[in-house]
Amino acid sequence: MPDLAFTSSAALTLGVELELMLVNTRDFNLAPDADDLLRRTTRVAPEGELKPELTQSMIEINTSVHQAYAPLVTELRATRDVLSGHARKMNVALAGGGTHPFQKWSDRKIYPNERFLSVSEKYGFLAKQFTVFGQHVHIGCASADDAIYLTHALIRYVPHLIALAASSPFYQGVDTAFDSSRLSIVNAFPLSGTMPLVRSWREFNRYYDRMYDLGIVRSMKDFYWDVRPKPEYGTVEIRVCDTPLTVDRAAQIAGFAQALARWIWEARPIEAGADLYLTHSYNRFQACRHGFAGTVIDAVRGDARPLADDLRETLDVIAPHAQMLHAEAALDALRASIDAGNDATWLRRTMDETGTLADVVRHQADRWASS
Amino acid sequence: MPDFLPAWPLEANSFLIFGLLLLAGLAGGRLAAMTRVLPAITGYIATGFILGPGVLGFVDTATLGDARLLAEFSIGLIVFDLGRRLDLGWARHDRWLLPMGLAESVLSFVAMFALLHYAGVATLEAAVAAMIGVATAPAVVLLVANELKADGPVTRRMLWHVALNNIVAAIGVTMLLPFIEASQSGSALDPIARAAWLIAGSFLLGYVAFLVMVLLGRWLGKSPVPQFVLAVGMVVATVGAAQLGRLSVLLALLVLGTCARNLDRRHRLVDVEFGRAAHLFFVALFVLTGATLAPHQFGAIAWVGLAFVVARGVGKAIALHVLAWPAHISLRQAGTLALALTPMAGLAIGMTRPIYDVAPEFGARLTAIVVSGIAILHFLGPVATRFALIRAGEGEPRARD
Repeated sequence: MPDLAFTSSAALTLGVELELMLVNTRDFNLAPDADDLLRRTTRVAPEGELKPELTQSMIEINTSVHQAYAPLVTELRATRDVLSGHARKMNVALAGGGTHPFQKWSDRKIYPNERFLSVSEKYGFLAKQFTVFGQHVHIGCASADDAIYLTHALIRYVPHLIALAASSPFYQGVDTAFDSSRLSIVNAFPLSGTMPLVRSWREFNRYYDRMYDLGIVRSMKDFYWDVRPKPEYGTVEIRVCDTPLTVDRAAQIAGFAQALARWIWEARPIEAGADLYLTHSYNRFQACRHGFAGTVIDAVRGDARPLADDLRETLDVIAPHAQMLHAEAALDALRASIDAGNDATWLRRTMDETGTLADVVRHQADRWASS
Repeated sequence: MPDFLPAWPLEANSFLIFGLLLLAGLAGGRLAAMTRVLPAITGYIATGFILGPGVLGFVDTATLGDARLLAEFSIGLIVFDLGRRLDLGWARHDRWLLPMGLAESVLSFVAMFALLHYAGVATLEAAVAAMIGVATAPAVVLLVANELKADGPVTRRMLWHVALNNIVAAIGVTMLLPFIEASQSGSALDPIARAAWLIAGSFLLGYVAFLVMVLLGRWLGKSPVPQFVLAVGMVVATVGAAQLGRLSVLLALLVLGTCARNLDRRHRLVDVEFGRAAHLFFVALFVLTGATLAPHQFGAIAWVGLAFVVARGVGKAIALHVLAWPAHISLRQAGTLALALTPMAGLAIGMTRPIYDVAPEFGARLTAIVVSGIAILHFLGPVATRFALIRAGEGEPRARD
């Protein structure tokens, strides 16, 4: 039987995983250079950890564990600078964004390690289609039951997180009309979705054991849920965000999640019940499709309202918590983005100005390296 | 016999011969592909060799002359494409890139020159032959890379090295021209002017063609189809202008491509793929290249060619391995890169033409020296590049159109 002990960690500590694309600087298509980049970073390494991802044009940054937003930004900027330096020497570039706008998924090469080859074997063409780029935010939890409650309560704010991070309007060479098309790719996996409505870690373990005994999962990594507990780190992991176009935005979103978690634990505003999940798929779709212009339905209150309004209200409610965590600057920047538009808006505007998706990627890479 | 019927015996025209050559090349390419080891190019070249004057004689020398236009056009597209891979900004960020490229060129030159000198070849002839040997065949490496859908650090570096070593060889051969002419006539003043004209004129032509291309690109916008026609049109026009001005087609097109990559600051030009349309011409090019080979080139003098080939490879390999550590490339990458640079086709890219212009006898002696090396590398080169890119993990062995 698998050991699913929950490693307790300091509450509200913060860590970020960012999946990044590697592009060549000639036609700005994806470049299969992950291995070479990882090899070079053994000589000049950034803080945190670097990992390969499913296909050879992806790499993943894992930051160290932080208490606050400010040192997280500092680390992310430093990591970005080290990686950009290596990339320039390799004649490739790194970029944010949830999808590469025009790569052909069938051209991708699976990164040749045991885990990724087995994913490829298990999921067939879905594996190569999974060349999409997400940001995962980890929030430290003092106890396993705290993690279960937070995992449920955050479901209410999944649309907000999607809209704030949305940066994948283009996929396979077309405008998808979505702000975040990336999550549609994730939806294809059989173990995507949300955690079942369990109320405690003990209940969760019963569910997990059953799934294990039935041969459906072998580890927590097999669940591609929107929000999931991560027992080995002692965290809750939010997985719905596209990788933003800048490290600053990535850190701001992490700061938002941290303040949100503090409020959720202190005010216990959400009841983890069936109503929470009744509207989840609809709200999630609205955020993916329309971004801030989407509508969210609150089944508990029984009303529908613009996502932007609900987000502004949420930012107001959690502001005192952000202040306690020294993350006000993050929330201010996010509030401004509701009016200015998210990264999907920026990408569409760049496409209108430049006329080709290759130019969009070029600007995307410049934006990643310089801001 | 009624006069509306064709005259007997039927006489094949150039279209028919060319069409049949293409189809035969296609069949040869398919046979090569079926071996799972050989690249299609080897099949095209072998087909040409068998059908050519050297073996079956289906294609005669006159037809080869007719087809020269086509070959120039194909080479033009390839060299322009190669120029577009020469990102000078890369050399600014990776300070070892240019030294490594130059070391690879210089050391292979030294190795080949030393060998020929030791074999008793006259100094000047040895120098010119070694200089021609510096260049890696752009058409072969690009085609093999395309066939394998190769991409990655070794492929990118390979194309950068090829662009650079072609520029080095073209300038080197041109600079040796005055000495060749002086060896014939005793006076070198006019030849120096000729060399200066060749180099400066070719650079200027490439640059002016670039300016025109950017102007047209700005006017046309960034739609791929007009940009494709623009690129092909500019390449053909530049080939013509270079021939008209007795300039180096190779240099002019490399400069055009390099400017398109590095000086198009407002990004008016689209990096169009020549793709299938160009492939048609490449099949023809390699069938014709094969047809120019003669069996005797593999005979008595082949050992000289073989030694030449080995010296060239050793020179390149030493330079790349020695500089691998400071350049942050692994020894495995250095090895595959050296192997990938094997193909050599100095004659096919017209490097010897100016030499024939100024000194036909010298040109003939030179051809005798390098031709067997080139003949050998026509067969070994594509196989080596294919093997290297697969070994580097960047080529997909099953990727075929």
